[in-house]
Amino acid sequence: MNAFLQQLVLGLLIGGLYGLAAAGLSLVFGVLKVLNVAHGQLIMLGGYGAFWLFALWGLDPFASLALVVPGALVLGVILYGALFGWVVRAHEETRVKNSLLIGFGLALALDGAAVRLWTADERSITTGYAGAVFEFGGLAVPLVRLASLALAFALIGGLHLLLRRWRWGRAIRATAEDWEAALMTGIDVRRAYLLAFAIGTALAGAAGTLVSVGYSISPSIGLEWTLKALIVVVLAGLGSMLGTFVGGLVLGLAEALSATVFGGPYREVVGLVIFFVVLVARPQGLFAR
Amino acid sequence: MLEVQAVEAAYGPFLALSGVTLTIHPGEIVALLGPNGAGKTTLIRCITGLLRPRAGLVRFEGEPLGDVPAHAIVERGLAVVPEGRRLFGAMTVEENLELGAFVPRARSRRAAGLERVYAIFPVLRGSRRQIASALSGGQQQMVAIGRALMANPRLLVLDEPSLGLAPLLVESIFEVLREINASGVSILLVEQNVQAALTLSRRAYILEAGRMAGEGSAAALLDDARVRRAYLGPLAP
Amino acid sequence: MTRARQLVLGPATVALLAVLPLVVRRDDVLNFLFLVLLSITLAQSWNIVAGYAGQVNLGHAAFFGLGALTTRTLWSAGTPVLAGMAAGAVVAALFALVIGAAAFRLRGAYFAIGTLALGEILRITVGNVLAEVSTLPATTIAGYRLANRYYLALGLAAVAVLAVAVLGSSRLGLGMQAIREDEDAAEASGVGALKLKLLALVLSTALAGLAGGLFAYYHISYYPAHPFSPHWTFDSLLITFIGGVGTVHGPVLGALFYVFLREYLAIRWVDFHLLIFGALFVAIVLLLPGGLVEAVARLRAFTRRA
Repeated sequence: MNAFLQQLVLGLLIGGLYGLAAAGLSLVFGVLKVLNVAHGQLIMLGGYGAFWLFALWGLDPFASLALVVPGALVLGVILYGALFGWVVRAHEETRVKNSLLIGFGLALALDGAAVRLWTADERSITTGYAGAVFEFGGLAVPLVRLASLALAFALIGGLHLLLRRWRWGRAIRATAEDWEAALMTGIDVRRAYLLAFAIGTALAGAAGTLVSVGYSISPSIGLEWTLKALIVVVLAGLGSMLGTFVGGLVLGLAEALSATVFGGPYREVVGLVIFFVVLVARPQGLFAR
Repeated sequence: MLEVQAVEAAYGPFLALSGVTLTIHPGEIVALLGPNGAGKTTLIRCITGLLRPRAGLVRFEGEPLGDVPAHAIVERGLAVVPEGRRLFGAMTVEENLELGAFVPRARSRRAAGLERVYAIFPVLRGSRRQIASALSGGQQQMVAIGRALMANPRLLVLDEPSLGLAPLLVESIFEVLREINASGVSILLVEQNVQAALTLSRRAYILEAGRMAGEGSAAALLDDARVRRAYLGPLAP
Repeated sequence: MTRARQLVLGPATVALLAVLPLVVRRDDVLNFLFLVLLSITLAQSWNIVAGYAGQVNLGHAAFFGLGALTTRTLWSAGTPVLAGMAAGAVVAALFALVIGAAAFRLRGAYFAIGTLALGEILRITVGNVLAEVSTLPATTIAGYRLANRYYLALGLAAVAVLAVAVLGSSRLGLGMQAIREDEDAAEASGVGALKLKLLALVLSTALAGLAGGLFAYYHISYYPAHPFSPHWTFDSLLITFIGGVGTVHGPVLGALFYVFLREYLAIRWVDFHLLIFGALFVAIVLLLPGGLVEAVARLRAFTRRA
């Protein structure tokens, strides 16, 4: 029983990161109607950013968020300007398809670049407090992962407020709903796209940092994290960042459950099966509001 | 105020407008009439920058709008109430209204703008925390008009504001339009409800199959037998 | 290219490649050509469903893997390899029928991510159930003939190219292209969209199953989950797009270019080809949607004018 509960706790902890990973993808897809399948690679880059800051300058990974997130924001601006800004001119169906292809090419290029830069080895950031554990009723809660969960929640909460209170946050939501109406209201829709994409990339950078400290990173994790984020987006639908966070927790729990029931190697399968079934059951309704 | 000169517009190979000319003087209410598919909404899209005319010129307050991006046209003082209202349905009434004041010209006067809208449509004050898509059609139309007014426009363009509303509501909406006009805002009104539109406006244009088929004073058009037959039906008084 | 020239050039190329092993007795050359031919077959099979019917299948590796798995299992049990490959093609196509009925409820990018998930489900499951390396028995290894694999690859690649060439100009192929351009319009004008998409998928996956069988016949030892790896899908996609999606020659040109760069870059820079091809792919999607085939055509038109 205790081992089972322990699994669930760990599932919940990683679920928070799934939620954070999905938030960026969901924002970009919801606003730009651009499906960036390189999102997992952006998470990977964020992880290596934090890893570098730690390995080269001994910067604490949580503190490095203050550098990685702005860096990712800038990267987002560059990627939008160089690649994704081109596809938003197309009509919606073409736009989604072309963005998928561009994201795919970008993903491969980043995978290749990561192997060149950091080798194919698995890496993780081992801080002085990495082993610290918080005991609670016989359950061991790794402190670093708990802190990551709390930070993920704080970031999503911050994003939620940003989209609700900030002038441009509202403009982004309006653009997501009806870009033509947004344009007629005087919103520079292109700028809303750029902002949403940059914020989405910044969120990926934050997620990557948290992954590199509580878990591990390697050049091949991109596809894995893209899939996790996609599963959560499909589970939670678009439009609510808090819903996305809950969706992440649900996926984490579902994985933990299936690992206990079917055995560890199948933990990845359950999410994918849910994903496919939900997708096929609601082929049009899913992404529509 | 607004000059549309010999505008030609097309969707791909399909010509939607050709040689369309229209003028609105400051302070006027002008109606644009015509059957479904005549090109009225296309003309609105050309005026608001959503569609670039293939030929011709749109001038607002003397300045050509040809290269002005759509969002910047609102900043110049031209706001539109789009067909079908196009509210941001997942947002509250007040969020919709505040988005109307997104442009710099209106931002600093947001609070005053809100008061103005609530004064015109008192019912919206009570439902300002409600999600816009949950409102009745009439209230949604009020939000749409309110949102456009929040931009503090000098010219207000309305595309079929009476669509789907009960006659009594239409009357009160048109009464509101009269008040708005009296406060110094020029109005271009696109309508299917010809009787109501001609009663409100001073002048009107008739668009048919992408061309201007007629123009004149509202009173003259109301008396024109051809117009009466075509738009008011054989039983019109 | 005119039809007459195609009818001469195609068989001539195949004949040339058929004589090659008698003249060039170098295993590295044959190995390289084998990989090119395998890539042509796999990319061409992907081209049918993606290039012609317009359905970006990101789970293509699943069918390649199923073909490999079936062939290897039957062959190891004593079935002749050709029969095993045929069975592999049938298994892949049957699986495609079952899956296609569900997956084709999805349109465009949703079909793509749905099939990506399917492929991953199969890969992980196979990896868990069959975790051991599959190695050929010593007697088979002793009698291993690279030339046999080469000829089989040549035959398959020729069949794949021919199949796409015939399909492209047939009524069925035109119907598929109508779906690619506008599914609703095609449906409205009497094209049975679902039926044609399923047909394209079955053709495509049967060919992929055969290619998988060839893979199982070629490799002495590999992990059973390896042919299910999404990289096979990604290879097909890169090759087809860079060569020219929805054309007969595109995958051929693309495969030659891709395998060449991959094999020769790999000697000095591991995985560098991904960086180059990823970037090239993005450039092609944005700037040259017709790929190398279009580039060649433009170049020709340009030199003719000059």
